[in-house]
Amino acid sequence: MKKFESQTYYEILDIPVQATPFEIRQAYKSALAIYNEDSLATYSFFSELERQEVLKRIEEAFLILTDQDKRADYDRQLIHDGKIAAAAVEKKEKKKAVPLFQTKNVVEKNALFKRIQDRIRETDVKGIAEGMLSKDLISGSDLRNLRESVGIGIEEIYEVTRITASTLKAIEQDEYDKLPTAIYLKNFLKSYAEILQVDSEKIIAGYMKNLSQNTPS
Amino acid sequence: MSYIFPIGGGKGGIGKTFIASNIGAIFAKQGKTVVLVDLDLGGSNLHTFFGINGVNTGLHNFLNKSQTNLSRVVESTGIPNLSIISSMNCSIEIPNLFHAQKLKIIKAIQNLPFDIVILDLGAGTNSNILDFFLCSDEGIFVVTPEPTSIENAFRFVQGAYFRRLKQLLKQHDFNAAIKEVNRTSDDIMVKSPDVIEKISEHDPEQGKKLQEKLAEFNFKFILNLLQKQNDEKLGEKIEKVCNRHFYSNFQFLGNIRYDPRVYDSILSKQIYVDKYAYTPTSTDLQNIVKTWQGVNTIESYPDQKAYEKI
Repeated sequence: MKKFESQTYYEILDIPVQATPFEIRQAYKSALAIYNEDSLATYSFFSELERQEVLKRIEEAFLILTDQDKRADYDRQLIHDGKIAAAAVEKKEKKKAVPLFQTKNVVEKNALFKRIQDRIRETDVKGIAEGMLSKDLISGSDLRNLRESVGIGIEEIYEVTRITASTLKAIEQDEYDKLPTAIYLKNFLKSYAEILQVDSEKIIAGYMKNLSQNTPS
Repeated sequence: MSYIFPIGGGKGGIGKTFIASNIGAIFAKQGKTVVLVDLDLGGSNLHTFFGINGVNTGLHNFLNKSQTNLSRVVESTGIPNLSIISSMNCSIEIPNLFHAQKLKIIKAIQNLPFDIVILDLGAGTNSNILDFFLCSDEGIFVVTPEPTSIENAFRFVQGAYFRRLKQLLKQHDFNAAIKEVNRTSDDIMVKSPDVIEKISEHDPEQGKKLQEKLAEFNFKFILNLLQKQNDEKLGEKIEKVCNRHFYSNFQFLGNIRYDPRVYDSILSKQIYVDKYAYTPTSTDLQNIVKTWQGVNTIESYPDQKAYEKI
């Protein structure tokens, strides 16, 4: 008969050396279910004395392996005795949470920002922007002019701001009936202006003024 | 070589004969040639499961030397491909089989020209039963979920295990190792349970060899008469415990659920899997055969002609 005494705590609980505390607890419970006095599975398999020994060993295994420091000591002892390989004990890197949503956009956003900045540096956007900002009323076509002179598409603005293309078009083409309510519109204009790196407050003020003059209220 | 499956279990009334006959019938339906050997000497009743009241030939012909070839004393069971060697006509003294007769039977069984040979053993753990059980490496024992049956099953397993151990010690060159252990040990006789550890201590190489030899031996077992209130995982737990504490391999083949209709089939002397083919219990039996075949792919007996001549 194989003796219990010569087995390591891991073998006794039938768990791998890297077992987590949760797995150890589960293994301990199932070991008790097999070796306890009322268990049918081991009825008459051991003498009372042997059973006590076995249960004592299981208890010991559980107490040592669930104590982080004691377990580390025990692992070192096992490695020293050559019973387990040192590499086996090394904790695997904790699994990182898998993000629910793609984070790829963040990278794209940064890349896009950089590209826009480069474009602004290359082209004479400032002149166009200042020309626009000096006006009292700002229309959608002004915004489109600015965007086109920077050289970015509507889709790219959508990628960053998540403002739908139809809304963006409505803003640029002054389709007032398709525009969202003022509070959203202001926010959208703010994002739009920030991407094109012009003064967002002036844009909003100019655009809203233009809007109020062109819509009968 | 044919596959020999001895079915034992220590306790009486746990369904050894029921399982032997039904599993035999399932194998036969798959088109394999199967012979059931009733080795419950002095308690033979395997023939009754098939409604056979009397046989012309049987083990008695082989033992009184009126027939020297065991394969010629088989009788048909009425199920195609399934034959039986009955011991119903053996003398009243048959339970106390002579050692030489036992060896003769074992040798003849190992040469039977069938795909599958199923041995139905009696209750108890006497040396005849254990030797029949050990004539193959694929012994099956039956347990029911009761402490009485489990206790007897463990005694049976231990009995078979230590008998195999003794055979190994005799067959191979372990005598020197044992003598060495006896000489240096304080115990006058080395007790069987510790002999492997003792030999390993004195001669690690021999100890390892012995462990490997024991590991070649497979115990399979079936949990019979499982009722709703029983622990379904009991079989797996027993498998785990045995694998952990013995050097041999243990495989749990599956549960067989309790069904009162088994009683009907025995009363009507019809094989259960024939009479009630689509019951949960029949499915359990079929699944056990499948699990079994997952491990052993049974090929047809190569010398088919030899069988047809008989």
